Amino acid sequence: MTRMSPKAKVDIARGHLTKAQADAAEGDLRDALQWSFASLEAAIDALASAHGIATDQQHWKRRDAAKMLHEQGVLPKDLSGLHGQLNEERQAVFYDGAEPTPEDVDIDSILADVEEAVVAAEEEAR
Amino acid sequence: MKGAARRWSQPEPVRGALADRFLDDADVWSDRVRSDRLIVAGNETRRMASITSAVEERSRELEARALILTGSTARNRRTAISDLDYHVIGRPPLVEDLPGEIDLYSDSPEQFDAKLRAGDDFVHWSVWYGRVLFDDGTVHDAAQHLATHDGWPDPARKLAQAQRALPFAEQLVESQDHDAALEQVRGVLSLTARWVLLAHDVFPLSRDELSEQVLHLGCFDLAAALDRSIHVAPPLDELGTGLRLCDHLTSLSATKARRARLPAPV
Repeated sequence: MTRMSPKAKVDIARGHLTKAQADAAEGDLRDALQWSFASLEAAIDALASAHGIATDQQHWKRRDAAKMLHEQGVLPKDLSGLHGQLNEERQAVFYDGAEPTPEDVDIDSILADVEEAVVAAEEEAR
Repeated sequence: MKGAARRWSQPEPVRGALADRFLDDADVWSDRVRSDRLIVAGNETRRMASITSAVEERSRELEARALILTGSTARNRRTAISDLDYHVIGRPPLVEDLPGEIDLYSDSPEQFDAKLRAGDDFVHWSVWYGRVLFDDGTVHDAAQHLATHDGWPDPARKLAQAQRALPFAEQLVESQDHDAALEQVRGVLSLTARWVLLAHDVFPLSRDELSEQVLHLGCFDLAAALDRSIHVAPPLDELGTGLRLCDHLTSLSATKARRARLPAPV
């Protein structure tokens, strides 16, 4: 069996975003939303770690971290609202089998916002 | 001579156990709400109590039908990853300004009733084991309905959820995002455990109790994998093994899954 080890959060964030973009292009909004959430969380983890903010692998702490990172000028936007929205969307997909439609979610806007976080994390890591 | 007053006691987690809780007696239900409130006060820290108090006050202001504390806090089985889970029947209060570990689920009375009859296990959980903080009779009616109609969550829903969640969990493990993979695998293991339990007429309790419950049924590998996903952070390989187990179990009938072990790697 191949032994797997965790990758750097910033690389993970970019990888997840790439998957989200591909799924969105194929019209698979379920997976696009799930990958978007995973990407945003990984980007927040990377930035929070660099700025001494504990997230403890908890969603609500990541949401708070997104707000703090914006207040500190690290993130151009406060993405805490987006984090909360994506968390709800992916729970609906996971538990209720929700099938989001383009009328429900503006996936292009979501992807653009997540990419801002990913780019910020990449710049921080340089 | 008047007999001793009947009291509420929580049902055993087995099918049919609500039927002998004297739910037709309004005093028993009042006793439940009273004792649930006392238990919540005992289970919560001061910080949690202030959050609960705020959620209750806001729910009452919005004239919600009922508010129920659910999940691990209701069972006094909190873990490091526990949130504070509430189920409000009625309009949901705003909680964005409250400390963040809140998960607030809301249903209109019509949604609540429809989900109950459709076998939604979350709604059933609220009725069976939630701590009822207030209730205008909506939850009492639901409990009476379940008691008199052998109401039981639909195991097929949990099976479908587990099967649906598997592919994304597998991709997360492959992506080497350990944090996200751990959460997703834990979720799939929990769904699988809830399916097996419900199919064997056992009511799934809080997440930290599921491994004990499936162990009692004889699902040794599932119990071990679930317990480790909650109390330690297994490496990615082990998370992948947990998914392989769920993939195998959910391909079987519930009867066969109960005794099934992890198959050898192909």
